[in-house]
Amino acid sequence: MSDLTRYGYKHAISGFFEFPTENARRILPSHLEPVELHHGTSIFSMTAFDFTESMVGTYGEVVMSVIVAPLVKPGERLPKSAFYPYLVGTTTRAAREHAIERWHLPHWMEDVQMSFAHEGRRITASVGVGGAPVAEMTISDHSWNPVSHLYQSFMKDEEGAFLANIVMEGSQSEHEEETGRIQLFDHPFNKDLMISEVYEVPFRELWMRDGQQTFDPLVTLETAS
Amino acid sequence: MFTPDRLSELTPTAKRVTEAVGTTGENWNMSAAPKQDPERSVFSDYDYSNFYYGAGDDPVNLLKPFSTWYKEALPAGYYLYSEPLQSAPTTEVRVRNRKTGEVQDLLNLASYNYLGISTREEVKEAAIEATRQYGLGASGSPILSGTLEVHNQLAKAVADFKDKEAAIVFPTGYSANVGFISALMRSGDTIFCDQYAHASVVDGAILAKSKTVFFRHNNPLDLERKIKGVRGKKLVVVEGVYSMDGDVCVLPEIVEVAKRHGARLLIDEAHSTFLFGPNGRGVAEHFGLDKEVDFHLGTFSKSLGGQGGFVCGSKDLIDYVNAFGRSRFFSCNLAPPVAAGLLAGMKIVEDEPQLRTKLWSNVAYLRRRFAEEGVDIGKSTSQVMPVLVNNDSKVFAVAEKVQDRGLYLQPVTYPAVPKHKSRLRVSVSAAHTEGQLERAAQVIAGVLREEGVCRT
Repeated sequence: MSDLTRYGYKHAISGFFEFPTENARRILPSHLEPVELHHGTSIFSMTAFDFTESMVGTYGEVVMSVIVAPLVKPGERLPKSAFYPYLVGTTTRAAREHAIERWHLPHWMEDVQMSFAHEGRRITASVGVGGAPVAEMTISDHSWNPVSHLYQSFMKDEEGAFLANIVMEGSQSEHEEETGRIQLFDHPFNKDLMISEVYEVPFRELWMRDGQQTFDPLVTLETAS
Repeated sequence: MFTPDRLSELTPTAKRVTEAVGTTGENWNMSAAPKQDPERSVFSDYDYSNFYYGAGDDPVNLLKPFSTWYKEALPAGYYLYSEPLQSAPTTEVRVRNRKTGEVQDLLNLASYNYLGISTREEVKEAAIEATRQYGLGASGSPILSGTLEVHNQLAKAVADFKDKEAAIVFPTGYSANVGFISALMRSGDTIFCDQYAHASVVDGAILAKSKTVFFRHNNPLDLERKIKGVRGKKLVVVEGVYSMDGDVCVLPEIVEVAKRHGARLLIDEAHSTFLFGPNGRGVAEHFGLDKEVDFHLGTFSKSLGGQGGFVCGSKDLIDYVNAFGRSRFFSCNLAPPVAAGLLAGMKIVEDEPQLRTKLWSNVAYLRRRFAEEGVDIGKSTSQVMPVLVNNDSKVFAVAEKVQDRGLYLQPVTYPAVPKHKSRLRVSVSAAHTEGQLERAAQVIAGVLREEGVCRT
């Protein structure tokens, strides 16, 4: 038996947005440090997954994160980057319960509605809750290359602080053409963000398709707080 | 706060793998996911930005990963940086190739020296004479024993040239921005920087502990959006000419927004002093806004090909910066031979306005030739011309070929510029001949065409 957990996706799309470091610090637990794009400007990211294969079936997932400093250890593979998902929404209860139990990910506790509209070189992910819109993000593609990148996800809940090493494989397009856009709606789902201070054009757009996301076993971190 | 200050609380060595994690995916269709090319190198997967942040217990944890990456990066193209010149940075240079060790004679399109005067005889003679009179260095801080008469002469010459009451000289352009901004601004104040402002502007803001807000490049509407309603002391910082794109600041609109919101305005004319405007004072003079800009900063390393930076303005301003410009008074003053050489260089600038005419004629020539050859130089309207390759994996191959065919140029890639906006940066000088520029245009266009980058 493998100790890895795999999820297959058709699309995984991310937008990376500038927002104030004060906002990032309000979201982050004290043991994590936001990566700053510029002095005083941190990075908020929204990632929308269209999962096609998993132990809990097919489902959609939206992950709202702050980009943080990765944990670098001698002799271990260097992560591409690290993030702190402060809120995850899933389209099914099974997916939600699985991710809470296994990965300690903080969730919106109702099903979210998600749709992907793929038109030419652009894709839009729309997320809603109970019929109300929450977020709509559009990104575009650039050149496509097969990749296998290591990311780190930090989690914290009442049970402790955790780290998951995640390998994202698939065909990837990444660019900084500033062609995308996000609309965040005034909704409790977005209560952690000062929406007016999130710059609506992503400085980076990352699109992965037809790939898989592989989690290493969860690591428990001991922190002072 | 670039260094994580609380992550030392993490003790990952004490980690344990939770036993609760289970197993899935045994029946996974692995072939559905494209695999990474096994030949793909560490170099192509990472870039400088991956080695900046790293939490953990030891500050040296990033050294080994960086060194592993850099060992691959060097032969893959990074050898093109810091190749040692064996001659003066004039239009023709002798360069030791860091990859082969061979010395090559190359046409120089990389050095600043925009007016081509750093090697003029009168400049060299002035520096030699100052060496005889003062020796090698100032041997002290400018506020203690390190101010020599030549420094005062240089400051006065700058103030006169810029038509300002007073000026103060810093040992580098970097220290001018850092020292000036941190002298003037404090915690609780707000600094609005163009997103493409030089690192020295950002570092000055960090040292000032002010809130720093970046507005979109050359976008007064975004500045308006961000400055609106902000109370307290406000400083807007722009550059006359932006160093990576060669575009000129939209100063009239920026001045209007800054004034309407009661903000002071600093213009960094590192790449425009001695070049723009009827008298060469810079972009502010070019737009007829010299008096509307509150603080003027410049360098001696670009147009004059020397070293040092300066700030000019009112006598009160300069007295204050003299008292609180830490980057200046905690450094040794500018070396006297350099100060004397700069004085001689400034005299040439004033006596020979035809040098500016020649520079702009050269700029026009190369712009035209690049346009004819289908070479994209973006929004540049100055002597700084980014030859856009827009392909991060090809830019080093392009740069390597260009050097092999006789041009001295460096590639600029992410994170210095956005992803896929990689380029070669060309610096045009008044010292270039049309023949040299023609050769440059042909070589660059030829290589870009071979690499499939040119439009035609």
